[in-house]
Amino acid sequence: MGMTTPELRDLLADSLAVWGVAGRITVSGAGVVVAAAGHELRILPAERPLRWWLERPGQRRPYPGTVGLLRGVRNALGAGDGQPVRLRVSSAAGA
Amino acid sequence: MTARIPVGVLTGFLGAGKTTLLRRVLRDPAWADSAVIINEYGEVPLDHELVAAGDETFLSLATGCLCCVMRSDLTETLLALHRRRAAGEIPPYARVLIETSGLADPAPILHALMLEDVVTATHALHAVATLVDAQHGMAALDRHPEAQRQVLLADRLLLTKPDLAPDTAALEARLHALNPAAPIRAAVQGAVPPDWVFAPGQHAADPAALAAWLEQAGSAARHSDGVATMVIEREASIPAMALTLWMQALAEHAGPKLLRLKGLVALTETGADRPAAIHAIQHVVHPLEWLETWPSADRRSRIVLIGQGIPRHWPARLLAALEAEVVEESERLSAPR
Repeated sequence: MGMTTPELRDLLADSLAVWGVAGRITVSGAGVVVAAAGHELRILPAERPLRWWLERPGQRRPYPGTVGLLRGVRNALGAGDGQPVRLRVSSAAGA
Repeated sequence: MTARIPVGVLTGFLGAGKTTLLRRVLRDPAWADSAVIINEYGEVPLDHELVAAGDETFLSLATGCLCCVMRSDLTETLLALHRRRAAGEIPPYARVLIETSGLADPAPILHALMLEDVVTATHALHAVATLVDAQHGMAALDRHPEAQRQVLLADRLLLTKPDLAPDTAALEARLHALNPAAPIRAAVQGAVPPDWVFAPGQHAADPAALAAWLEQAGSAARHSDGVATMVIEREASIPAMALTLWMQALAEHAGPKLLRLKGLVALTETGADRPAAIHAIQHVVHPLEWLETWPSADRRSRIVLIGQGIPRHWPARLLAALEAEVVEESERLSAPR
């Protein structure tokens, strides 16, 4: 379950377009390599409860989910900060 | 000659609150006997389900862009309604209300309503009301030629969501500069008398002036570049957490590019009986609205996004990833240790 590596590649390729960053995403072994904005990032699957490792020269950070990973990749590429929002979708009808 | 049927046009950019206002107007018993033509820019129309009109109201739906491919269809729709009304096949509606898509340039629509003899023989344009979002209106005017044309062609302007924008002076000044003749009024959640919205205005009083303007301005629609509609449909329900994370990520990463998001969603936690209506405009996500029941027999979750410069598959890929993640996490936590 969870995202496969090709699915991660496709999601990140689209995300680069959303951020307005030109770059290249390739599947490499078990992970993907993001080459964009003068950076090269490597994303590798992690053991649960983590989900991904984001590696760049001299740094390796864990991410437990896709939302955090996207934010981490965006920050690492210097592609703007986005506008983080915190929502609450209650499952209690009428809430 | 029998009296011509009044026509009111409700326009305004994506997310301005047209459907909210229309829903409120149709709840008024004095306005329930209306025929409503709803034009939606999307492969999966949703607005007509969100209007939830009563029995007296006759809804007609036009998908696609009314001002482009659908122009002749507007004429056909009006005439077909009129024929069915005359034949007693549908209720004898007192007026026609047209809700344009948020991306519609109203000029070709008004052109059809005012200059096509087959239409003007039986229908009379009474009002063109343009809704302007107090929070996002200035940005829409900056970026989208459709938004400017909607203001230019109005005979009244309704500033919506003033409660979300503390200072609307600059926007009101800009609206006044674009269209000095149109009165401006503000309303929260469509709380404005329908008579003000659809009463005969300057276009009805002086149709020749508008016709001359239309001839001069041309009837070709003007649109923003790169605007696309994306549709997500799901047979299975969506976990509330996945939906939350998805909307957060959309707002965070694609905020200014997300012109509009609306949908009817079945959440896993509540079952399929009561859908939630979701709305977002750019990075502003509105609270969920719970409907008493599904508006039609179609109980699939359907979400329509209109974006500018958003890759077509990105929202669906992101949602699929988050759904898989949430389901996996839930299974992991509930597995015996």
